[in-house]
Amino acid sequence: MLITLEQLTKRFGATLAVDRLDLEVRPGRVTGFLGPNGAGKSTTLRMILGLDRPTSGRALLDGRPYSAYEWPLRKVGALLEAKAAHPGRTGRDHLRAMARSNGIAPGRVDEVLEMAGLGGAARKRSGTYSLGMGQRLGIAGALLGDPPVLILDEPVNGLDPDGVRWIRGLTRDLAAEGRTVLVSSHLLSEMQVTADHLIVIGHGRLLADAPLDRILAGHASLEDAYYTLTDGSALR
Amino acid sequence: MTVLRAAIGAEWIKLWTIRTVWWSLVAALVLMAAGAGQYALYAENGDLDPGLFRDGLVPAGSIAVLALSFAQLAFVALAMLAMTGEYSTGTSRATLTWIPSRFRLLLAKSAVVAAVIFVGGTVAGVVGGVVAFPVLGDLGDAGGIVPTALKIGAYLALLGVVAVGLGAALRGPVLTLVVLLMLVVVVPPLLQVPDIAVLTAIADGLPGVAGNHFLLGDTDPYAPGLGLVIVAAWAVAAFAVGYRELNRRDA
Repeated sequence: MLITLEQLTKRFGATLAVDRLDLEVRPGRVTGFLGPNGAGKSTTLRMILGLDRPTSGRALLDGRPYSAYEWPLRKVGALLEAKAAHPGRTGRDHLRAMARSNGIAPGRVDEVLEMAGLGGAARKRSGTYSLGMGQRLGIAGALLGDPPVLILDEPVNGLDPDGVRWIRGLTRDLAAEGRTVLVSSHLLSEMQVTADHLIVIGHGRLLADAPLDRILAGHASLEDAYYTLTDGSALR
Repeated sequence: MTVLRAAIGAEWIKLWTIRTVWWSLVAALVLMAAGAGQYALYAENGDLDPGLFRDGLVPAGSIAVLALSFAQLAFVALAMLAMTGEYSTGTSRATLTWIPSRFRLLLAKSAVVAAVIFVGGTVAGVVGGVVAFPVLGDLGDAGGIVPTALKIGAYLALLGVVAVGLGAALRGPVLTLVVLLMLVVVVPPLLQVPDIAVLTAIADGLPGVAGNHFLLGDTDPYAPGLGLVIVAAWAVAAFAVGYRELNRRDA
């Protein structure tokens, strides 16, 4: 499945958060989504998922907006915030409701809990989870509908080294299976070993959209390349 | 239809898997039992509005209706939290990725809340009548307990939809609860006490007062059935405002 942004724009009052983004995210590879804080990454992801309404332009999944899909969780799995579950609800109940909402077989819940390594914690209220466990629950939710598209916002946030390695392997595997994998992260070293392709934005504008090796060319590391691209604005 | 059924199923699981709903229902039943006992004692002591007597007897169901002025707040809280909880706990975005259609989401939530409250409200109505009847002694009439309880369930279910719709429009639990309390509890007596025709007429158009007319079978100022229609109109209006806001604002 293809994610297509067409002149995607979002304005919050006087601030232009996303400025005429035109790009395509393709299947079969891990696409890293980079940019300083406030560059418009999360807003862009939210518009792809139909949560924020674009001021103008469109975000499409195989030519249709997210909201046009009858069972969206079977098309797109998203990890947006580490703790998107009600703190009073168990992780397992959260996923049960989620599966029910999109006509996903209830048996799939235990499968993804297993994959995410949540184990016994699944029957505890999610308010008791550590950041890393909340993240694992979110990823279990993203995998629930076995979707062809995965959108992961800062997936390694709060994960221990084992978790980071797991995510790295998982994103690579998902892309290798032919899925479209879009991962935003601040961790440039992580992106350097995970992503095949990079999209870099700053102040809502597209700064780069190229294969990792092309962006790296002539630079000692992704960090160097990134600062050249964003003009050091991440430091401000 | 299958998508709506799935949305209702998901909202059903969500409602029963947090503790708030259980506490609200327990609170509602306790408030109802306590309130019914208290009002039945008033009746026994001869301190009850004579308008409540029917053929010299007090219908136990009418005592449940009086006690509802407390118990309904627990139901309103349950309904409101089902919606505002999405915002206060940050789950609203997740929920909208599961069910992107704002209309379907609000419809599913309203349906689940209304169904649960209808049953809970009917049970509370029966509890109120059953508690009141023995306290009323010779004054009591148990005949209308069940029909009145069903009416209580219907009224509360519609009030629940008002709470869900307002919750969707206002998002914050505190603000939503304040508006609901104003609408149902605070404003009506302020309008009624001065006994000025215009103000009383406005009060008769508010959901709590209209519901009360419906439940007590008042024929003045309008037929009891119209009372229920007025509450239903509030539910439709709140749903429409909630839907508009869900659609208009970013999640």
